[in-house]
Amino acid sequence: MTWPEAGATDTGLLVLHALRCAGTVSLARLHAITGLDESDVESELIDLGADGLVTRLSGGIPGWSLTEAGRAADSERITHELESAHARARVTAAFERFLVLNPELLDLCTAWQLRAVDGVMSANDHSDPAYDSRVLARFADLDRRAAVVCAELSAALPRFGRYRVRLTGALDRAASGELEYVADNTGSYHVVWAELHEDLLATLGLQR
Amino acid sequence: MRRWIRTISAQAEETAETLGGKALGLVLLHRLGLPVPTGFIITTEACRAFLRDGRLPEGLDDELATAMADLERSTRRAFGGPHNPLAVSVRSGASVSMPGMMNTILNLGLTTEATVGLAAETGDRPFALNSRLRFLTSFASAITNADMDGTGTVHAGHPGRETEDEETRLTESIEAVENLVRERSGQPIPDDVTRQLEQAIEAVFSSWDAPRARTYRELNDIPHDLGTAVIVQRMVFGNRDGHSGTGVAFSRDPNTGENIPFGEVLFGRQGEEVVSGKSMTRPLRELAEREPDVWTGLLDALRRIEGHYRDACYVEFTFQSGELWILQVRPGRFVGGAAVRVVTELVDQRIIGRDEALLRVSPLHLRHVRTPRIASAEEADVLARGIGACPGVAVGRIATTADGAVRMARADPVILVRPETSPNDVHGLAAAAGIVTARGGPASHAAVVARAMGKPAVVGVAGLTIDRDDGSVTAGVRTIPEGTLITIDGTSGEVALGRPRVVTDAADEHVHRLLAWADDVSGDHSAREEAQRLDAAQAALRNR
Repeated sequence: MTWPEAGATDTGLLVLHALRCAGTVSLARLHAITGLDESDVESELIDLGADGLVTRLSGGIPGWSLTEAGRAADSERITHELESAHARARVTAAFERFLVLNPELLDLCTAWQLRAVDGVMSANDHSDPAYDSRVLARFADLDRRAAVVCAELSAALPRFGRYRVRLTGALDRAASGELEYVADNTGSYHVVWAELHEDLLATLGLQR
Repeated sequence: MRRWIRTISAQAEETAETLGGKALGLVLLHRLGLPVPTGFIITTEACRAFLRDGRLPEGLDDELATAMADLERSTRRAFGGPHNPLAVSVRSGASVSMPGMMNTILNLGLTTEATVGLAAETGDRPFALNSRLRFLTSFASAITNADMDGTGTVHAGHPGRETEDEETRLTESIEAVENLVRERSGQPIPDDVTRQLEQAIEAVFSSWDAPRARTYRELNDIPHDLGTAVIVQRMVFGNRDGHSGTGVAFSRDPNTGENIPFGEVLFGRQGEEVVSGKSMTRPLRELAEREPDVWTGLLDALRRIEGHYRDACYVEFTFQSGELWILQVRPGRFVGGAAVRVVTELVDQRIIGRDEALLRVSPLHLRHVRTPRIASAEEADVLARGIGACPGVAVGRIATTADGAVRMARADPVILVRPETSPNDVHGLAAAAGIVTARGGPASHAAVVARAMGKPAVVGVAGLTIDRDDGSVTAGVRTIPEGTLITIDGTSGEVALGRPRVVTDAADEHVHRLLAWADDVSGDHSAREEAQRLDAAQAALRNR
């Protein structure tokens, strides 16, 4: 049986859904998440704002986020996209495989942050390159298995392809010495992974 | 001649390498004359053979049949039988601890027919159904490698209370799990006890090689070729009746080192539910009022085990109809100030000498002695307790949404309290002084993010619920509104109302004493860092 080719998601929905999965985020992060130019993102945000779907927060942590109406609109549009691509079964199957990997990813993030020395869990101060490279090697191993899941997802819905790019990008930067790209900044492997988790739940209409 | 199986008894003489650490603990309990459910061990050697050949080793089936027949004889119950059915637990037990990595199957043997038998025997059909449901969920999770706990949510309700509603709900849950397994694995859960047992053993052996377990070993320098043993024991039912339950206990308080038993108990429930943090537990001391005989037995057990280890200890226990059983034991492995306090008090009790006290504390423990802590759980009004996921104390007003946290944080510090967290909460986490979640363990999203941000965090506060409409938070019998001032301790996992006293020198007196002994040993009384003073003493002792 062949499936109809799912088309590219329209840019308005890409921006809307990025806010659904990533929470309150800046323009720069929306660019990183969607792969769209900042100017294109901004123009979509203006349109979405005019429709009352997104709002701009000022203050200590500025950024864009969804309104209640935006959340509802995203849910409706993303479900529609899933159903019209006949992708539910494939995304569900991939999600189940994702859930097997998820605890391992969280273990790895914890091992990156904390290290047991003499039975005491202490912050990993990254002074032991051998330990760090061992953890990163396991990240790379997990990432190879995650790649299979990501490939299944982007075959079902092309917009999932961004996660592959972002996950690999984060790991490459971590491997080249930007250690904060493992679990400590907004583009880190952990953050991208958590967005993918949220995306799968939102796409399938599931609760955590 | 038994090749693959050993009886759990005081006479077992092999090492953890063959029997596994958990089984060795059970052997110790036998030697101390403490109550351990009857059972046997399948050795790590059998696991290695299984992993090498992809099937259970030759001859194991005969040995299993004999071992189960012995178990039937000694318990006077029948495995898979319609009358007096025998149920067993099947647990992993490697020679090194790999917490949460491998499978446990409870109530194995409760086939459809045996469940009817158990209901008839006890006159308590909800109990029998509940036990079968727990068997199915644990078995299904083990063979499909997925967490099935949400599928047939297990709640004992009020043990012994028979309502048709409860039976209907349990029956529906049982069907849901059976269907899910058929869907996932293409095969039903076997209703034949021998098949159940073999599959369970295979699942435990296989879990040794699960990618997550491999990763854990890589990170912790554990060789991949050790394998795990399997422990099969007669089931004791913490969900049997109103005088049953399950719990965990430390002989001393692991947060402070104080010499009073500390732990949690869950009345009317079974096994893993305490450890998994999925249910609302009660403080251990409630056992003293509700089950005084069990309490006395537990205190006696803790005392005897401490005497053996000459150290604080940890046990997992179950009581069925007022009868206590110990299921697992290990040394306490305290850290930080608690470790220091325990060794100095053991010296006072003349259980160990000063030299041994000095050697037992890692200089690294001293680094954690100064982490801020809630001064005393006794004097603080502790609302709830979870798992400390990022050390430190935070004080703030409760916010129950990320947006609320951002808004409220403009005026005052806030503590974000959530069922669990997702990327949608991160701006709230960033605005908050500390984080509390009802679900999740030390590797949950909330825990990872809290550590990345360096914020005190308490996760896995079982039984904590948040009202989505008015933002109030309920823990146990108390409900408090959003905006209430609370204090959280990311070491002990305590969540206290108001602003209790916070100290950074909880173990000061004990640290000073230990370090004075250290200086006496090293002969160096100059002013140095604490860790250096202990280091020097340990070096001197090792060179003696």
